[in-house]
Amino acid sequence: MVRDGETLWTRWNTVAARQPDGEAVVWVRAGEPSRRWRWRELLAAARGYAGWLRGAGIRHGEVCAVVIRHHAEFFPLYMGVEAAGAIPAVLAYPNARLHPEKFREGLSGMARKSGLDWVLTEEELGPEIAALATGTNATVRGILFPFGDAGGQGAARVDSDEGRWNASGGAADSEGPCLLQHSSGTTGLQKAVVLSHRAVLEHVERYGRSIGLRPDDRIVSWLPLYHDMGLIAALHLALASGVTTVQIDPFEWVQAPVLLLEQIAAEQGTLTWVPNFALNLMADRIQDDEMDGIRLDSLRMIVNCSEPVRAESHAKFVARFERHGLRREAMASCYAMAETTFAVTQSEPGRPPASMRASRVALAAGAARKAAQDEDARLCVSSGRPIEGCAVRVEDELGNVLADGAAGELVVASVSLFDRYRGDAEKTAEVLREGWYRTGDLGFVLDGEIFVIGRKKDIIIVAGKNLYPEDIEDDVGAVPGVLPGRVVAFGVDDAALGTETVAVVAETPLGARPERDALRRRIVEAGMAADASISTVYLVPPRWLIKSSAGKPSRKANRERIERLGSEAKEAFR
Amino acid sequence: MISERLANVIRGELNLPDLKLEDGMLAREVPGWDSLRHLSIIAAVERDFGVRLKSLEVMRLKNIGELQALVDRKMAVG
Repeated sequence: MVRDGETLWTRWNTVAARQPDGEAVVWVRAGEPSRRWRWRELLAAARGYAGWLRGAGIRHGEVCAVVIRHHAEFFPLYMGVEAAGAIPAVLAYPNARLHPEKFREGLSGMARKSGLDWVLTEEELGPEIAALATGTNATVRGILFPFGDAGGQGAARVDSDEGRWNASGGAADSEGPCLLQHSSGTTGLQKAVVLSHRAVLEHVERYGRSIGLRPDDRIVSWLPLYHDMGLIAALHLALASGVTTVQIDPFEWVQAPVLLLEQIAAEQGTLTWVPNFALNLMADRIQDDEMDGIRLDSLRMIVNCSEPVRAESHAKFVARFERHGLRREAMASCYAMAETTFAVTQSEPGRPPASMRASRVALAAGAARKAAQDEDARLCVSSGRPIEGCAVRVEDELGNVLADGAAGELVVASVSLFDRYRGDAEKTAEVLREGWYRTGDLGFVLDGEIFVIGRKKDIIIVAGKNLYPEDIEDDVGAVPGVLPGRVVAFGVDDAALGTETVAVVAETPLGARPERDALRRRIVEAGMAADASISTVYLVPPRWLIKSSAGKPSRKANRERIERLGSEAKEAFR
Repeated sequence: MISERLANVIRGELNLPDLKLEDGMLAREVPGWDSLRHLSIIAAVERDFGVRLKSLEVMRLKNIGELQALVDRKMAVG
C-alpha cells in the first residue's frame, strides 16, 4: 500500500529503518570485490549527496539528467537527487563511437524538449558538453561532476545529519513527479515520460505481486539503468520492496556474458530480466570451462522482455543451461514500456509462458488461428496476462476494438499510465486517447494471454534498442558515393542472434570492386557515428529501388525485393 | 603488428574486405565491430587460430595489437 504523502525517499527510509544492515545494492565489477551497500550507509551517503546538490544550487522539482557509467556511487547519488526533492532522469552515457557533436545535439534537444535543468556527469564528458551550459543559447543551468575532486563524493562521506533530508524528501507529495524516464529511441528524439511517486510505488507493488515477489528474493541484473527494464524492474522494484539488487556493468556483460550467471550463482540470485537476444548470446557464447562451479538452482524467474519473445531462444537457453541447474519453469515473459511505468503483462511465476503454433497464412490475413499439422506456422510465445491495474485490447486501423484471436494494434490502459510526453503535446495526442495508449505494437489476445508479434511502424529493435530507419537512411544518404535519398534501411530477422539486425540498400553508380568495398565501409562508418550498427549493406545500381506512391523508396517493397533475390544475385550486391 | 591472418579473419567476419587495421585501433573504432558482433568476432578468431580466449582475458584487451599479442602467446604455448 502506498500511504498518502509517501515518496520514494520516505519509502526508502522506512525500508532502511526496518533492515538497516540489510544489503540494498551489490555493485559488481569483473575481477574486483563487489561494493556491498547496506541500507544504513547507502542512505547516509545519499543524504551527503543531497546536501552537496542543494549546495550546488539544485532546487526542489528541478530535473537532473544523470549521465554516468557503471559506478558504485551512482546509487547514493541517484537517491540523493530524490532526497533533495529534485527529479532524476538517467540517460545513456555516450557510446565512444557516437560522434561528440551528435551527442551534444541530442542532449541539447532533450534539454529543450524534456526540460532538463542540470546534468550530473563524469569529468571526462565535461569538455564535450560544456557548451550546453554557457552563453545565450544555454539549455541547462549547470553541469556538475559529483565524483570529481570538488564533487559530492567527499560530502557523502562526512554527512551524518540523519534528520535533515528526511524532512526535505517528505515535503514532496505522492502525486508529485519523482522521475523522468525516456522511451527508447534515438538520443534527442526520445520522448520523456514523467512519473509520480505514487505511480512508481504502486506499479512496483503490483508488478511485485505478479511475480510473487518475496522478501528473500535477490535480483541480479546487467541491464542499463536508462531503460525502464533496468530502472524500474531491477532497481526501483528492489529499493521500494527492500529486496537486494546485484548490479553488473552492461559493457562488461556484453563482453563476458557469463558474468550474469556467475553472479546469480555467487549471490544466490532468484530474479533477472533480459531482452531476448541475451538468451541467445549466453547460450551460444558461454564456454563450458567458464561454467565450472556455476549453478543456477536459485534462479526462479528469468524474464524475457523488451524484444519480441522467441520460442527458439527459450528452448536454446534451457537446453544449454539445464545441466547447470536451470529450471525450465524459470523461463518467463513480460510486455512492458516506459509509458506504463514498466509492465503491462507478465507470465505466471513457476510456469513457462504459453505458446501457440499460429498459421502464417492466417496471421498475414489478420487472424491468429492454430496451424494445421502440415501448415506453415509461426511459434508465438505469450507475454502473459495483464497485471493488476492493466488492460489490453486489440484495435484495427480505424480504432475499432477487435475480438479475441484477431491481430491488430495493441492498445493498453494502466493505472500507471503516463499522462503526457513532456514538451510534446502533438505526439501525446497521437497515441493517448481517453486513457488508452496506442503502443504501435501488433499482436493478438487469446484466452486472456497477450501475444506480441510485430510492430506497426518500421522501428528496428536491435538487442533491445529501438532504431528508426529514417535516421539511418538520412546518415547513409549523405555518404559520398550513395545517390542522395536513394537508401532504405530495414530490420532483418536474425534467428541465430535472437534479434533483428540492420540491413541497408543503397543506390550507387560505382561499379569497380575496390570502390564498392570502400563505399560499403563508409556506409557502416556513417551508421556507427550515429550509434546504429549496420550489419548488411546491399549496393544496387541507380533506379533499382522501388518507389512508393509518395515518390520515396519504399522500405517494404524493397525489403521484399531483396528477400526474393536468389543467393547469387544477393551476393552480387554485397 | 597485426598479421594478415588476423586482419583477414576480422574482415571476413565483418564482410568489409578493405578494412585497414592497426595495432593501436580500438574495437569500437573498427566499422561494424559493435557489442553484438564482438563475441562472434572473437569466436571466429578462436576458430581460425585454434585457440581458446577467456572472456576476462578478452575484456582486458585495450586494442587490436593486444588481441594479436594474446593470440600469439596462446599459439606459442600451443
